[in-house]
Amino acid sequence: MRRETQNILLVLLGGALLKISFSGLYLRYVQKGLLPLLIAAGTIMIGLAVFAIVQDIRRAKAAAEGDHDGHDGHDGDEQQHSHSHSSRSTWLMLLPVMAVFLISPPALGGDVVSSAADTNQTQRSRNLLGELPSGDVIPLSMTEFVTRTAWDESGTLDNRRVKLTGFLTRADSDTFVARLAISCCAADARPLKVRLTGDVPALPNEQWVELTGKVVPKSASEKNSWVPSFTVESSTSVAEPVEPYES
Amino acid sequence: MTITGEIRSSKRRSGPPRLKITSLEVLCGILVLALLFQSRLVDLLDVPKLRTASTVFVAICVQAMPFLVLGVLISGAIAAFVPASALRRLLPSKTALAVPVAGVAGVALPGCECASVPVARRLMQQGVAPAVALTFLLAAPAVNPIVLVSTAVAFNDTPMMVVARFVGSLLTAMVMGWLWVRFGKMEWIAERALARLGDHSGQNKWAVFAESARHDLVDAGGFLVLGGLFAAAFKTFVPVAWMQTLGGQIVLGVLVMAFLAVILALCSEADAFVAVAFSALPLLPRLVFLVVGPAVDVKLIALQAGAFGKSFAFRFAPATFVVAILCAVVTGVVLL
Repeated sequence: MRRETQNILLVLLGGALLKISFSGLYLRYVQKGLLPLLIAAGTIMIGLAVFAIVQDIRRAKAAAEGDHDGHDGHDGDEQQHSHSHSSRSTWLMLLPVMAVFLISPPALGGDVVSSAADTNQTQRSRNLLGELPSGDVIPLSMTEFVTRTAWDESGTLDNRRVKLTGFLTRADSDTFVARLAISCCAADARPLKVRLTGDVPALPNEQWVELTGKVVPKSASEKNSWVPSFTVESSTSVAEPVEPYES
Repeated sequence: MTITGEIRSSKRRSGPPRLKITSLEVLCGILVLALLFQSRLVDLLDVPKLRTASTVFVAICVQAMPFLVLGVLISGAIAAFVPASALRRLLPSKTALAVPVAGVAGVALPGCECASVPVARRLMQQGVAPAVALTFLLAAPAVNPIVLVSTAVAFNDTPMMVVARFVGSLLTAMVMGWLWVRFGKMEWIAERALARLGDHSGQNKWAVFAESARHDLVDAGGFLVLGGLFAAAFKTFVPVAWMQTLGGQIVLGVLVMAFLAVILALCSEADAFVAVAFSALPLLPRLVFLVVGPAVDVKLIALQAGAFGKSFAFRFAPATFVVAILCAVVTGVVLL
């Protein structure tokens, strides 16, 4: 591959990183803490490519002037050859570029939930299980809701009205509200599920919803893989949040 | 993809101008075609499995790129600013003694595995013994402070896990270094890996820095993408959930978790959060997952094949896989 092509590929790839950074689409792929790193990486890639392009143009000019003076400009060519033996694999860098600019893959959703292990993977975490805030309706992350139902035996959630945000999935005859949690990128996504009872919204799969209701006390057990039940009192469909994953 | 461009463009451009197809024209052609058929392409991928795979693929590439960039910057800096003689003075002259030094030096590179491959290759080019550079390559992604802290956060109930991970990974790296001293052969490493970039004396050091970094980035970027493709395919099409249920037995669990570590290709800064979620498993298989992951995974094998050549990667990766499992099991039995 020619140096020029390599440089263009680098500019495209760096541009793709900057594009998802500034459009906020990066939240579909990685957790939000990576933003400064993504911007830095994209800028450096473009910088390295532009620097090389400028150098090449200068060198070509110098070589051309050298020609006028009677030299054959051999130096410039040799320089070019020593760097242009990179392998065919460099072409692959085009794939993420095209994926980002042309396809822009969506955030992970129901497919991952249904193919993952049928369990809520929570960890006991002492500091998370503090007092619930007061108020009539408490917005809770799915992570906290599921963790509390699995680990908190004192029943702090019982008879409290909470609000959950997630997307709908169905398995067998059950409807679930689900959300994915990531710690670094979408490759390590793990699903969190809550079985719905009561006024289950009749909306299509993958529709994002805000649900208000109460937990069915002691509904999460080892037998049902720590998936709690939730009595829905009211539901509204919402747009996919900017931050599709919990962390 | 066609490589006509590569072959043609290496000829000297001389004689009368005629229409030539170089990689540049191929690139433009591909881009135009992709733009024309964009909607067709999107429709084609509108299958849940493929959508998931493409998201995971982009996620792995996006997440790894900053660390690869960090790696090539360090590699470029070594090429430009650290003379080979300085490295020789820093390391013990006896390779077997330099191996543990390199392992502990891994603490200083706060990145994941993508960053350490270009750095290790640059160390070799600067005359550091391959065994020493390879120990650094294996140790750096697993024992640096960021990884240890994230492991401690994930396993906040079992702090011994952090110690076990540190010891297990360091042991793996050093054993591999010593094995290379004893059995390694230089001819396994591709010649281009050790060829130094032309003589830069006389050139501006910053220009050398930028050119080395750019060269490494172009070299490794494609292989990183290849690794991302494999990992996305495995992640989407291998029934991970089903495999977890096999993990109940301790021996089977160790093997399954080692295998998962290879195919999932998680960043070493995130794998602890995934390991902690395998709550049905005992600690030992999860430790194996944490020790194998940063040392061998499909993304890393692709990067190694790119940096050091196929015949190196296909010997080194399986050997590391076995050594990492053994070291993790020994460490786990003693410490957990």
